[in-house]
Amino acid sequence: MLTAIIKEAWISIASYKLRTFLTMLGIMIGVAAVVMMVSAGQAVQNRITDTFASMGSNLILIGPAELVTGGVRGGRGLPSVTVADVAALKTLKDVETTSYLMNAAVQAVYGSRNYGVSVKGTNPDYLAVNNWEIEDGIMFTEKDVRAAKPYAVIGQTVVDELFGLQNPIGKTIRLKGKPFTVIGTLREKGDGLMGDDQDNIILMPSTTVRQRLAGSPRPQYTGIAFVKATSEDKMELVAKRVEYMLRTRHRLKDGVKNDFTVRLMTEMVEKVRSVGFVLSALLAAIASISLIVGSIGIMNMMLVSVTERTREIGTRKALGAPNSWIMMQFLAESVLISFIGSFVGMVFGIAFSQLGGHLFGYEVPISIWSVIVSVTVAVVVGIVSGLMPALKAMRLNPIDALRYQ
Amino acid sequence: MAEKTVIDVQHVCKTYFMEGGTSQSVLKDINFQIKSGEFVAIMGPSGSGKSTLMNILGCLDKPTSGKYILEGYDIASKDDKELAVIRGKTIGFVFQNFNLMMKRTIADNVSLPLIYQKVGETERYNRAVEMLKKVNLIGYQDRPPSQISGGMQQRVAIARALINNPAIIFADEPTGNLDSKTSDEIMELFTFLNKQGITIVLVTHEDDVADYATRMIKISDGHKVYDGLRKEYSKEKEIKC
Repeated sequence: MLTAIIKEAWISIASYKLRTFLTMLGIMIGVAAVVMMVSAGQAVQNRITDTFASMGSNLILIGPAELVTGGVRGGRGLPSVTVADVAALKTLKDVETTSYLMNAAVQAVYGSRNYGVSVKGTNPDYLAVNNWEIEDGIMFTEKDVRAAKPYAVIGQTVVDELFGLQNPIGKTIRLKGKPFTVIGTLREKGDGLMGDDQDNIILMPSTTVRQRLAGSPRPQYTGIAFVKATSEDKMELVAKRVEYMLRTRHRLKDGVKNDFTVRLMTEMVEKVRSVGFVLSALLAAIASISLIVGSIGIMNMMLVSVTERTREIGTRKALGAPNSWIMMQFLAESVLISFIGSFVGMVFGIAFSQLGGHLFGYEVPISIWSVIVSVTVAVVVGIVSGLMPALKAMRLNPIDALRYQ
Repeated sequence: MAEKTVIDVQHVCKTYFMEGGTSQSVLKDINFQIKSGEFVAIMGPSGSGKSTLMNILGCLDKPTSGKYILEGYDIASKDDKELAVIRGKTIGFVFQNFNLMMKRTIADNVSLPLIYQKVGETERYNRAVEMLKKVNLIGYQDRPPSQISGGMQQRVAIARALINNPAIIFADEPTGNLDSKTSDEIMELFTFLNKQGITIVLVTHEDDVADYATRMIKISDGHKVYDGLRKEYSKEKEIKC
C-alpha cells in the first residue's frame, strides 16, 4: 500500500513540475545553507584542534603573571620564570621534557636577499615539546646552548625566501649584522591559528639569542616556558607540581599570588573549541531560518493543491479511497518534496563547502551530521508542513468535494 | 426466477440542521426496493431531493432516520472507513462532469478504484484495457483524457465505474454535459450494459434520457410521488402529498 501511495504522490507532484521545483527550492537553499554552515564551523574547529595538536597537546605553558588592577586585567607582568626554573621543572615526576622561548623579530640576510623572521631562543627539547621535526641537517645540542654557538635551525619559509633552491645547510646568514651558521632546517608546519606563518621561524640556542640578539636587561628570564607531560591525563597533576615547585623556588609565602601563570594546552583547546562550537551552532540556527521559510512554502503549496484538487479528492473518496489513504497521499507528497529538496540541498551544500574549503585553503570534512540533519529535516519538515493540508484533504466531505467548482 | 434485492430503502428521511436551530427536511419517508438487473431513473425537479437520495444510495451520506440496506449491508450502522470499502467494492459512480484526472493516462483513470483494493500495477493496467474494450475505446489507454472528446471521456468514466464489477452503477446526470447525439450514444451504452445484467440507477431531469430506463422513481418536495414503469408514467398517476 505504501508503495502505491508514494507512487501516486510522485505522479501528482511530477504533474506540476515548475511549482514543485520552486517549492523544493526553498528547502534546497535551507538545507544547503545549514550544511555549509555546519561544515564551515567544523572546518574551523578542526583547524583549531590541528593547530593546537601541532603545537603539542600535552603541553603546559608557563608565562608571566597577569596584572590585575581593581579587578581589571591589565596585560602581562615581567617574565618571572628563569632558565634555571625550567631546568628544575624537568626533574618533576611525569614530565617528559621542558623548554622555553626568547623571542626576537629581526631581519635575516643572505647574500642579496633579506626577510623579516621570528627568532626563538630555546633549548634542543623545543622540537619535542612543540612537535617540530628536522627536515635536513641537525638540531643544536645542550652543549651548543651552553657555549652560545651562533647556530640557526631555519623554517621552510626562511629557506624559500633566503635560499630558494639552494641547500642552506652550512651557509651563513646575518641577523643584526652578526653571522650565524645554518645547521638544520625544519619540516613544514603550515599556517597557524590566526593565519600566521608557523614556518617563518629561526631556532637558536637561548644563550645565543640572549647574548647576540636580544640585549635583554633580564637575560636569565624566559619569555614563555613549556613543560611537556608524559601523557594528557597527567597534565593536571603535573600542573599542580609545577605550580608548587615554582612557588617554592620563587619563595612565595602563603596568600601571595603567583608571579607566573600556568595554563594547560587542553584547557585552551577546549575553550577555543567551545567558542567554535557555539559559533557554528549560531550559524546553523541562522541558516535554519531559511528552512522554516521553505517549510512554509511547502505548506502553502500543499494547501493550494488541496483546494485545487478538491473535486479529485471527492472522486477518489467516492471510488473507495479511505480517509487515511487521502491523508497519506498528501502527506507523502509534502514529504517527497522536502526529501528531494533536502537531498539536492545536501549535495549542493557539500559541493559548495568543498569548493569554499578549496578556495580558502581549509580542509572541510564531509560530516555524517550533514546527512543525518538533512534526512531528519526532510522528514520533519515534510510531515509538519504537510500535516495541516493532508488533514484538510482527509476531512473533506465527499459530497461537498464532488460539487466543488 | 425472483431477482435478488440490491437496494432496500425503508422509511428513509433526511433532515439538514442549520446553524441557529432551524432545520430543513429534504427527504420524507422514502420507501422502495431495486432488484438486480433493473434500470431505474430517479427524476424530479431541481431541489426535489433527488441528489440527496442519490448521495444516500451511493453511501456518500447517511439517512437521518429509516433504513438503507445495500447488498445486505445496513448502511446507517457503518462508519466512514467501512463505507469507503462498500463504495469501492459494490458501487460504480458516473458523474456529470466525468471527474477524470487530466494529468493521468486513461488507463490510470479507469484503474483508479483498484488501487484502493490493493490490486497490483500490472493487473490494474490489464483490467483497465479490458474495460476500455467494453466501452469501445481500444487503443486509448496510454493517452491523457484531454486528447479525447467529451463523449469518450464519459465512456472512460463508465469503464472506471465498471472495473470493480460493482453490484450497481449510479449515474448522476451522466449526459448533462454532452450534446444530444453523444448523449444517445452514452445512454445506448448504459442500455447495453444493463442488458448484460448490470443494475443501473441514474438521476436525470431529462425525459428523453429517462426513457432509456425501464423503471422510474419520481421525487417531489422530498416525497416519492411515482414509482413504476417508465413507459406507464403520466403526470396524473403521481401521488398527491
